[in-house]
Amino acid sequence: MSNYPGRGTMLAATVAIGLLPAAAPAQEGQQRGGDALKQAKVMPTPMASDGHPDLSGIWNGGSQLANIGIEIGPDGARDTSSGTAIPVFPAAAGVGNDSDIERANALVRRMGSNKPLYMPEYWARVQNFDSNSNDDPAYHCMAAGVPRIGVPSQIVQTPKLLVLLYPGQGGLLATQTVFRTIPTDGRKHSDLDDLDPTWNGEGIGHWDGDTMVIDTIGFNSSSFLDQVGGYFHGENMHVVERLHRDGNKLTWQATVDDPDVLLKPWTTTKRVAILNPDPNALLPEPLPCSERDFDHVVTKEHH
Amino acid sequence: MARFKISNAILGRPLMILALVTAGTAFAHHSVQAEFDVNKEITVTGTVAKLEWINPHSYITIERKDTSGKTERWAFEMAAPGVLRKAGLSREDRGGLKPGDTVTITGLAAKDGSTTGFLHEIKFPDGRVFKIGAAANGN
Repeated sequence: MSNYPGRGTMLAATVAIGLLPAAAPAQEGQQRGGDALKQAKVMPTPMASDGHPDLSGIWNGGSQLANIGIEIGPDGARDTSSGTAIPVFPAAAGVGNDSDIERANALVRRMGSNKPLYMPEYWARVQNFDSNSNDDPAYHCMAAGVPRIGVPSQIVQTPKLLVLLYPGQGGLLATQTVFRTIPTDGRKHSDLDDLDPTWNGEGIGHWDGDTMVIDTIGFNSSSFLDQVGGYFHGENMHVVERLHRDGNKLTWQATVDDPDVLLKPWTTTKRVAILNPDPNALLPEPLPCSERDFDHVVTKEHH
Repeated sequence: MARFKISNAILGRPLMILALVTAGTAFAHHSVQAEFDVNKEITVTGTVAKLEWINPHSYITIERKDTSGKTERWAFEMAAPGVLRKAGLSREDRGGLKPGDTVTITGLAAKDGSTTGFLHEIKFPDGRVFKIGAAANGN
């Protein structure tokens, strides 16, 4: 947040909030959570032959920004942890110039209250990552990583394997297409020392009642935990994702434990995806990701 | 963030304003003003050299002769491909662009002085105009 005018003063922050436009950085192929939730029809949860819920389907995710609990929609912004509405100011009223409006947009995206708590020695590093978009791997066509990647766009469930598909994103992000194969056959994790560190780690699933729990270790330290904020992590990160299907709603939530950098485990805000109502729908082909801009970027301004 | 010129009648209706403001949002994955000058609009006419349907932004490259007769290449960053499709720029045989078309592009100049820009509007020779993503003043 170091590029905002008046950084570090409450007064400036208060003024900036008054200028916030109603931002809507909807990603391609994603629906805004609130509207879709209201329109979703009630349906029974389909069960697989093994008696567990069947998570298979194409899932239209909610806001990309929700891990820290900010939801930005047509009616304004909301802190999804507390339910508090965040005042926004319509840009159309002509307050502020274009530069101010872009900066105000950047500010509202950081206003979710559910943030990971870092050891004090890492606060400067977090701030540095946040203020320098050139260091963000998901601006350079890398994988978003877990848990930043959020809700899968498609799940294919078989008795002993879950296949999770995440199309690459354009527009606000620049991420590559990712798949994860999650065994649910009862196997245990490999020894961490035997795993090569990767973007998505070694994920293993099991059922906790009717909730699918994916336990993942073996990460590299290249990804961030959320879209903005500079929330980095280390290679000893342990992520537990919980996927619960209730009819045509899929709720996803992840808990991040990284004792090397975090003071305590951090649980993301719940994100709800809606089943694509068309039973014949197919996931659209994601476009290849090729980043061309950063050679021409002359400031480190980040939104 | 797109800014719209709207009438006083609409300004008097706050809920309408919010809906309008969010309708045309176009975000780049980087900060627009980190790369482009939001106060410097440029207009370039040339022939389409290539179209690239890629994430995070599609690109259009056009060629024109500079004052010395040398061919100059301009690359304009466009919105995400989905936005372009919604704007009516899809297949060549459905009114989309194709290499060789002469177009006039208006957009923001790059701050580094390179022949790149942030596209706001394409004019076709047949008079069609596509405004893509954002107003001519930047966000």
